[in-house]
Amino acid sequence: MELSYEVKDSYAEIRAAGRLNMVSAPKLREFVAGVVASGSSRIVVNLGETPFMDSSGLGALIGCLKVARQAGGDLRIAVVQPQVQMVLELTSMDRVLTAYASADEAFGDD
Amino acid sequence: MPSPELRRAVVIEDDPDIRGLLIRILKKQGFEVTGAGDGLAGIAAVRATKPDLVTLDLNLPDLDGLEVCKQLREFSEAFIIMLTARMDELDKLTGLDSGADDYINKPFSPREFQSRVNALFRRSRTPAADAQAQSDLIHAGEVQQSLLPKEKVQLEGFDVAGAFRPSRAVGGDFYDWYEMPDGLHLTFADAMGKGMGAALVAATTRAVMRSVRYVPDLDTAFKVASKSIASDLDALGSFVTLFHARVDAASGTVHYVDAGHGLALHVGAGSEVRRLKSAGPPVGAWPDSRWQEAELQLAPGDSLVIVSDGILDAFPSLEDFTAAVQQATLNQPTAGATCAALLALAPAETAEDDATAVVVRRLAGGAHP
Repeated sequence: MELSYEVKDSYAEIRAAGRLNMVSAPKLREFVAGVVASGSSRIVVNLGETPFMDSSGLGALIGCLKVARQAGGDLRIAVVQPQVQMVLELTSMDRVLTAYASADEAFGDD
Repeated sequence: MPSPELRRAVVIEDDPDIRGLLIRILKKQGFEVTGAGDGLAGIAAVRATKPDLVTLDLNLPDLDGLEVCKQLREFSEAFIIMLTARMDELDKLTGLDSGADDYINKPFSPREFQSRVNALFRRSRTPAADAQAQSDLIHAGEVQQSLLPKEKVQLEGFDVAGAFRPSRAVGGDFYDWYEMPDGLHLTFADAMGKGMGAALVAATTRAVMRSVRYVPDLDTAFKVASKSIASDLDALGSFVTLFHARVDAASGTVHYVDAGHGLALHVGAGSEVRRLKSAGPPVGAWPDSRWQEAELQLAPGDSLVIVSDGILDAFPSLEDFTAAVQQATLNQPTAGATCAALLALAPAETAEDDATAVVVRRLAGGAHP
C-alpha cells in the first residue's frame, strides 16, 4: 500500500493506494497518527485506489477515526470502491464511516 | 500441517538456466522449490505454496520485479531476495524500501547465494526458537479445533452442522452451539485479523457467550455479553463480528442478534433467499453500540446458513454470493454436505482468509436423519 498526503485549506487528504489488509493496516494507522500529530486532525482518506479491504483494514480506519476525534477533529472517507463499501454496509460501519463522493465534499458541510 | 523443518521456496526467474541453478541450490539446502518463469506465475505460486523464501529476478518479461515484490508483500511474509544483473540498479534498490530482504548481483556464486539464504534465516530466528514457535502454533490449532462443538446435535426435527478451515494454523473464525431444554443456542463469530491474536479473541468471545446461556431474555443476554467482550477489545483496537441465535425447536422460530456480521442467510425450501442485515457494528468496534434483536421463522425444509467473509471474498458482489450460497444449500442430503459445499465456494488453494460455515436445517418431514 502506498500512502501520501496533502494539506488542503480545511483538511488533510490522505491517499491510500493498494489493498488495505492485515499487512498494510498497521502502516495506515501509523501514517494517519503521524499526520494528526503534525497538526492536521481533519482528515479525508481518499480510497479511490483501494480495491479491497478486509477486517484488519476496517479496524485501521476505525482506529484512525478515533485518533482524529481524540485530537478534536474528524476522519471521513471518499471515493469508496464497491468492495470496501460492501464491507462497510455488512458490518453496519457505514453509519459511523460515511462515504463521500469526493475529498472536497467530505468537509463541504462545515 | 507441514513438519516444522520443511521449508518452501519459490524461484521467479525467466532465464531457464539460472532458474534451474537456483532451484538446485535451494533443494540441496532442504527447500521444497517451485519455479516460475514470469511475475504473474510467480505471484500465483507464492499464493498457492505459501513459501518461506522467494527469489525474484528484477527483469521479468511481464511485470517489473519491484511491482511483483510489492504485490507479494500484500499477502506474504516470506523472505524475498532480489536478483539483478545491473550494478547501478543494485545501488538504487538498496536505497529503496522495496520490501525485499536482500539483494544479490548477477552473476553470483552458488556459495554466496547459499550463505545469504542462511544468513537471512539465522538473522530472524534461531532454529530452536523457530521449532518451538511452530510447535506452540500447532498446539494452539489443536486447542482451537477442540473448542468447536464435538457432539452431534440431537434436536428433534433439525439437522445442524458446522465446518471451519483456518487459513493459518489457527484462525479468527469460530462457531459454537449447545442444546437447551427448548432448543439450541448458536454463536458464530469472526475476530478481526488472522492468526494467534484473532484466535485468542475468538476463544474469549466463545466463553463469554456461553456464560449468558441461562439469561432467559436474549436481548439482556446479548447486552451483558457484548459489554464484557467490548471492554476487553477496546484496549486492543480489535473487534469481533458476532451472530448469536436461539432456536426454538418446537415452533422453528429463531431469535437472533447480528453485530456487524451480515453474512447469515435464510434459505427457503423453495426459491426464496434472504440475507439478514446486521443490526449494528461489530462488538468492540464502536463505543455505545446497540443491537436490536430480530426474529425469523424456519418452515420445514428451510435453512439458516451463516458463513464467514472468507467465503464472501470469492465473489465479485453480494448478489452473486447470495445466489451461490442458495445454490450450495439447496438439494443437499444433509447439513454437513451443505457445509462442505459452502466451503468449496472458496477453494483452499486461493483463499487468503479463514472459511467457516454453519447450517441449521429444519427437516421437511419433521424426522431426524
